[in-house]
Amino acid sequence: MNRLKHNWLICRTVADVTYKEWSAYRTHSMVSIIVGPVYFMVQYFIWTAVYGDHASLGGIGLPQMIRYFGATALLGYLIMDFADWNLSMLVRTGKFLTFHLRPIHHRSFALFQKIGHRSLGFLFEFLPCLLIFIFIFGVDMRPASFPWTILSVVLAFLMNFYVNYTIGLTSFWLVQSGGIRSAFMLVSGIFSGALIPLDFFPHWLQVLQFFLPFQYMAYLPAMVFTGHYSLGGLELSIQQAVGMQAVAVLVTFGLNELVRRLAMKQFTAVGA
Amino acid sequence: MKRYLEVYKQCMYSAVQSAAAYRMNFIISSLITLVGNILFPLVTLLIYRAGTSFPGWSLYEVLLIQSVFTMSSGLSSVIFGGVLWTTMSHVREGSFEVVLLKPLNPLFFIVATTFSTDSIGLFLGGVSLFIFSAVHVGTIPALNWLQFAGLFAVGTAVLAGLSLMMAAMSFKWVGNSRISELADSVLHIGKYPLPIFPKAVQAVATMIIPVGMVGFLPASALLGRVHASDYAAVLPCFLFLAVGVWIYRHMIRLYEGVGG
Repeated sequence: MNRLKHNWLICRTVADVTYKEWSAYRTHSMVSIIVGPVYFMVQYFIWTAVYGDHASLGGIGLPQMIRYFGATALLGYLIMDFADWNLSMLVRTGKFLTFHLRPIHHRSFALFQKIGHRSLGFLFEFLPCLLIFIFIFGVDMRPASFPWTILSVVLAFLMNFYVNYTIGLTSFWLVQSGGIRSAFMLVSGIFSGALIPLDFFPHWLQVLQFFLPFQYMAYLPAMVFTGHYSLGGLELSIQQAVGMQAVAVLVTFGLNELVRRLAMKQFTAVGA
Repeated sequence: MKRYLEVYKQCMYSAVQSAAAYRMNFIISSLITLVGNILFPLVTLLIYRAGTSFPGWSLYEVLLIQSVFTMSSGLSSVIFGGVLWTTMSHVREGSFEVVLLKPLNPLFFIVATTFSTDSIGLFLGGVSLFIFSAVHVGTIPALNWLQFAGLFAVGTAVLAGLSLMMAAMSFKWVGNSRISELADSVLHIGKYPLPIFPKAVQAVATMIIPVGMVGFLPASALLGRVHASDYAAVLPCFLFLAVGVWIYRHMIRLYEGVGG
């Protein structure tokens, strides 16, 4: 119990300090207030043109599609992460050594930092964009189920973090993991469903997504938000979908731990 | 002029040598960018695969717009892509004086020393997609190729102007690594046929922030879809570049050297 309390105190402190640190750059976050609505507007016109006379495409109607893109845009602000870049920088410069000297696991430290950083994102990116979507674009941004959507977003947050951290760990072998990072961002951009709902993909690619981490970061939480989840011919209730997402997060955490242990054997503290 | 060309050649050579220091990272990055840009029109492919379309535009015509956009972005990134990041870094650290002390035009020096080998993959990805889509749109008359070449160059000038404006912004918005996202979001409009947007957006995208010139208008020229009136958009593009150069040079004069 004491240990839990102690960890909570560390988490709160690291998150708080990160929040304050990044608050100095809050106007940077506020770039999203322009960028988010511009991207959303482009998606809005693209899909309005594409739907034309079609009532639905890929089993999705135009209003649901607009809600979907609104949800993925907002979700991005809540789960955004650069733990991979940070870890890569620490390894390259040799500064990772300082974390070996601290009485805290670096992964936990990075996770707490992310909590602080995204709390700022919630205030300066998520909320303003939510209000713009509702009051300027007139999009209905009420989730089908509040508790399940929140749980799904938390799981997406963890999934994104563990995957990114695993990518960052490749720096222990490659020193510069920028290439791997770009590769992941590219594949993730396509298969997370942020560009287009996964229902539009060929059936075999939809089935493949169950075994890859991408859909758990955007498509699944966005569909939980809209209240209807189906992929690869499999229709799941919201509860089942979130349950599946939780299992995926646990598996990813396990893989991350495995890679971390292997990576520690590579660590030289020299940098490059 | 000869001296400037010599400096530029030397900077290109240094950039290649620098990339060679981390060969594996360079190869992976280039391959990813190449593949990424071949995959970039995936959304378009999936839309057409679902049995729908952008009204009045065939799949290959839309792919042609997107390939021209990618080529133009690639070329611009190779030449001007690093200007923003280098300027931003110098301003944040308060080390822009190093640039000002060089016996060269500061803007030229920044452009030359930031020659980006990373973006070669982007350009080649665009070229691959361009060849693929151009083969499928039917015979293209020689005059259309000529019009395309002219408008393509103008589109690249727009991107150069945008890069300089973003870089100029970093003199005041110190250390904001998200400045480039502002340009990227606006550029997103240029990846699709302009007629799908409302008239007001079309007007902005051709006359004020002429992103329509980056992909849509050069591709339209190739397809024989441009009208004489469309050439009115060329002037705002050069103005846009001139404004970019002017703002950058003006911001240099306002540089305070304190970092941030």
